[in-house]
Amino acid sequence: MFRIDANKPVQFCDGLSRRDFLHAGALAAMGLTLPGFLGLKSAGAVSPDKDMNCIFLFLVGGPSQLDTFDMKPDAPAEIRGPYKPIPTNNPDIQISEIFPNLAKHADKFSIVRTLHHKAAGVHDTGHQMMQTGRLFQNGMEHPHAGCVLGYLRGSRNSLPPHVMMPRPIGPTGGNMPHGQTAGFLGKSFDPFLLNAEPDQPGFEVPDLLPPDYISSARIDRRRKLREIVDQSVAQLEANPDARLLDENFQQAYTLMSSETAREAFDLAQEPDVLRQAYGMNKFGQSCLLSRRLIERGVRFCTVNMFETVFNEITWDIHGSAPFSPIECYSDLVGPMLDHGLGTLLEDLKQRGMLESTLIVAMGEFGRTPKINPAGGRDHWPQVWSILMAGGGIQGGRVVGKTDDIGAFPVERPTTPAEVVATVYHCLGIDIETELPGPGKRPIPVVDYGVKPIEELL
Amino acid sequence: MFRTRLRVLLFFMSGAIASATASDFAILPEGIALGYRGAIHTVLVEQRANDSWTGDITGSATFVSANPAVATVDAHGVITAMGDGETTITATVNGQSAATTVTVSGAGAPYTQSFRNHVQPVLFKMGCNTGACHGAAAGKNGFRLSLRGFDNDWDHKALTRQAGSRRVSLASPESSLILLKPVMDIPHEGGERFTKDSEAYRILRDWIAAGAPPARAEDPRVAGLEILPQSVVLSNNAQQQFLVRARYTDGTLEDVTRWAKFGTTDDSVLAVDEGGKATVSGSGAAAITVYYASQVTFARAIVPREKPVDAALFASAERRNYIDELILKQLEQLRIAPAVPSTDTEFIRRATLDAIGLLPTPDEVTRFVLDPDPNKRDRLVDSLLTRPEFVDYWTYKWSDLLLLSSKNLPRREELNSFYRFIRERVEKNQPWDQFVRDILTATGSTLDNGAANFFAMHQETVDLTETTSQTFLGFSITCARCHNHPMEKWTQDDYYGMANLFSRVKLKNGRRGNDAEVFSDSFGDVIHPRLGVPLPPKPLDGEAIPLAQAGDRREYLAQWLTAPENPYFTRSIVNRVWKNFMGRGLVEPEDDLRLTNPPSNPELLDALAADLVEHQYDLKHLMRTIMDSTAYRRSSQPSDPEDPDGKQYSQYIVRRLSAEVILDIYAQVTGVPTRFDGYPEGFRALQLPDSQAGSYFLTAFGRPQRNQACSCERTTGSSVAQTLHVANGDTLNGKLRDERSLVASLMRQNASDDDALDTIYLRALARMPNPEEREAARGVFASLPTEGPDCEAERRAALEDLAWAVLSGKEFLFTH
Repeated sequence: MFRIDANKPVQFCDGLSRRDFLHAGALAAMGLTLPGFLGLKSAGAVSPDKDMNCIFLFLVGGPSQLDTFDMKPDAPAEIRGPYKPIPTNNPDIQISEIFPNLAKHADKFSIVRTLHHKAAGVHDTGHQMMQTGRLFQNGMEHPHAGCVLGYLRGSRNSLPPHVMMPRPIGPTGGNMPHGQTAGFLGKSFDPFLLNAEPDQPGFEVPDLLPPDYISSARIDRRRKLREIVDQSVAQLEANPDARLLDENFQQAYTLMSSETAREAFDLAQEPDVLRQAYGMNKFGQSCLLSRRLIERGVRFCTVNMFETVFNEITWDIHGSAPFSPIECYSDLVGPMLDHGLGTLLEDLKQRGMLESTLIVAMGEFGRTPKINPAGGRDHWPQVWSILMAGGGIQGGRVVGKTDDIGAFPVERPTTPAEVVATVYHCLGIDIETELPGPGKRPIPVVDYGVKPIEELL
Repeated sequence: MFRTRLRVLLFFMSGAIASATASDFAILPEGIALGYRGAIHTVLVEQRANDSWTGDITGSATFVSANPAVATVDAHGVITAMGDGETTITATVNGQSAATTVTVSGAGAPYTQSFRNHVQPVLFKMGCNTGACHGAAAGKNGFRLSLRGFDNDWDHKALTRQAGSRRVSLASPESSLILLKPVMDIPHEGGERFTKDSEAYRILRDWIAAGAPPARAEDPRVAGLEILPQSVVLSNNAQQQFLVRARYTDGTLEDVTRWAKFGTTDDSVLAVDEGGKATVSGSGAAAITVYYASQVTFARAIVPREKPVDAALFASAERRNYIDELILKQLEQLRIAPAVPSTDTEFIRRATLDAIGLLPTPDEVTRFVLDPDPNKRDRLVDSLLTRPEFVDYWTYKWSDLLLLSSKNLPRREELNSFYRFIRERVEKNQPWDQFVRDILTATGSTLDNGAANFFAMHQETVDLTETTSQTFLGFSITCARCHNHPMEKWTQDDYYGMANLFSRVKLKNGRRGNDAEVFSDSFGDVIHPRLGVPLPPKPLDGEAIPLAQAGDRREYLAQWLTAPENPYFTRSIVNRVWKNFMGRGLVEPEDDLRLTNPPSNPELLDALAADLVEHQYDLKHLMRTIMDSTAYRRSSQPSDPEDPDGKQYSQYIVRRLSAEVILDIYAQVTGVPTRFDGYPEGFRALQLPDSQAGSYFLTAFGRPQRNQACSCERTTGSSVAQTLHVANGDTLNGKLRDERSLVASLMRQNASDDDALDTIYLRALARMPNPEEREAARGVFASLPTEGPDCEAERRAALEDLAWAVLSGKEFLFTH
């Protein structure tokens, strides 16, 4: 039981000093908790914890509806594209041949084929709307659904309520926020960022444990000394950014002293064959890690399939550099989703977790029905498909219908806000719950009048 | 003749506050000219105090027209032209009156709605030509309009020629689809947009009845917008209607409030509805932005805090230069008291960090504190601006801006060449305009002329066009690549005129095999995708040059871009430098200088820009001016705990230091340099030419990737990953454990408890420990064994822990 890190001497991963530290339990006994949430459970606004969880699989780049979940085999070649539909275990649903594994699970998931938005057709706007239910306007940044859940419900244990992995979405061209923070709720409710690649050998949360040479007594001493030094500059206490640093130290201490946390992030405990089934890539292993984390108390996991759309193979198939070619759907990107999501559905089902875990696999927009001169497809917010499963969603359904070329909704158009309302509904949050907005102005979790997608429930 | 003069006069008067009258309110605008029968214009009744507009009392006014045969007025202040002549509209509130004159002309002649100036605004305001409806690239249900009506010819054709000419029926205007559908007489997916008795309906019907004429070349065009009141001081919970007038190229003014689109820059101060009525929600300063016919403008609203502040505080406040005048003016309006001055130790720490990215040494701190010279802060500023580390810091800053990285320039020699180019210019304080001109007109080998790498990094004209405006002008024109910018005045034609200035810069292999050669070719144009032809090269809103004109087009671009008259260029660099020192840009984000994102203190930004121009773009002059101001020298302690953010610079704004600075000052305080792969030991983070140089610490603390020209790449927030790394990672722990560390040398010197403590505090925080801190440290020392085999190791660990506690605290990681 030892591991070798490139820049560290060989060490036992259960080294004595660490065990001492963990067993001492000194920090947990000090009453350190995650920031602020305890007093914030708004009485009556939320129904009792239904113990529901959620996993967002953000298919960054914007998958083409025509090459994934809304095939148009009868359309002309320049519309239908290179892929053929295949049958699934549900006679009413056909999906793209790039998803042979998912085809076995069409009883578990449902497809919404008529997502559309009316904002500018850039990645950032879709990121905002799909994760917060709103387009950011007038200087207002709305919170990610997972951060709202964390704000309303707090943590179950020493693990943070909302984990984002492997990394947040970086710049995608619009220079706008991506809706992946707690926004006006304040940075204390931002997701915990993994910031590491779970497919790498020896993966661990960076710096989760103290090095061997720092004993628990020293950690304790450091913490006490730090608190004294920190009290000496009053103006820093008034500054929210500075206060956040302290909250983050507290959260770090909670994580460091938590055996649950250490165990939860330890992917090496998963059988090799299961890890392989999820796919030995960032996305697949993040799906697996999400399951592990939810099993151990995390409420919400957000998996960003990609961090950018530049110089990386993603769903953003413009066909020309620095973006991706359409072929990557069958070569790389499609199989990643097929294995990651397919295995996740199976795994959750087998463990009896699917009923209590909502999964949303979604992109930020669709793609142009007509293949462009570079052989790719460009941005198309007029329509796209997403997939939802578990957590109270009925499987095997298709909501909405598009026209013959997959260009526009013709039946039951749906909006990002309705998806987010559905998420809140499934998580047991009253969609009229109000959050404290800027200047203490009450802001409902979704705009008044927006309803969950009943057809899925 | 008379009318033209009158219009000119009115134009100058309308924005400003009109001449004083006995009453404490006035009608806005003063003097209205209406050009056809049925023309509508709304007026506001606005309170005034101390030369400021202070509230909308239109709702409590009664209106009377002296001659209803010329113009009528209704209870809401809406004036309708009836017949030629002049009349007076009087508003009465509580027995007091104010008046405005209305002149009507052309009432006898038949009037035709102009496609450009009346029909398009209706289609815009009703949402017909938005991206969500018929303005989408693919149209909607077979009917496509240009986005927000930027293409009159296309739109006219789409309305009158397509769909079997059923959209517009000249024979029977009321049967036109563009009237039947939006009123839902027949199904319309977009729902009901207006009713039959609406003005929108009337305008479209009258235009069709007049034969649906296209936009004519001789139609006046919108030259600009006016908003009234332009600046207003409002109280909490107040409401204020804003009026928008389009100013046409023929000098006429038209009330277009009902067709304009409104927004606000700060929802927490006020919200604005579709009709331009704002409702105050909190105190602060905010702007109301307006978009109409590809033109934008804004008004400013100030909502003072309710609690009064002693006026003497402002009267006696120190004003060291114009910065203080303009900041105090705004603070007084908002009723925010300025903070007290910073202490000497606070100042030397802050100034050194902000100017050169390092901490002052204990020696520097001591000498500064003991120096009795009243001008010592000025002297300190002067000396910081000549330090060699100043060159490192600002070279790094401009390397961020210019995206230097081995990802963008994989050949090390080229990256170094660009880096050297920047460094040499920072070193000699080259004027900013020359620096930018040298980059934009660079030719020759990428190894001989470092700036030529700008063109090696950005080879596509699209990339050059967008990067140039984002980097040097501080705004994005990317939207205009495909259609007129939806929120700004930039049109697709502006974009491709600009792009064509870069069409002839080309690259060939250099002579040395590891370089490229940038040269200006004599042919090549960028084709406008919609028009299918190249447009004459034209820098955004500058003058075009003929397509056939010989010479390097970039010279012309550089000349326009860096001209003192170019408002964006100077403001953009001023705002970047300002943010470096003051913690918050006058415009936020710092590189978002859109017209619809106005500065928090426009007068101050203007004054700083004018000063920089006057001083030939000497950036050190700008830095000195900022650092010399009282505003920069204030304490970071808010004078009022209810205003902790200091958005208006009532205090020095507290913020976390950048990733690179923290890493460098860890090295500085501990005495243990950071090791970067491929660089000699002792190389500081701020000396790295390449943003790809490996460092977990820098990544975790938000170093930008330098992929795109966007200040959003750098993050300065705190995260759990950072705190975990400080607690458990090998960066700070490694430095403290190192045999060369401060702690090790304190051990070697057998430093006493107090000496060790003082040294750590002075080096890290530029101050001595306070009694509580000393007490706590003594407690630690007292607990240590005084003899035995572990004695030395225990003392060493204790010193490391003391240093760690200081180096991980807010006081260390923040500038304040």
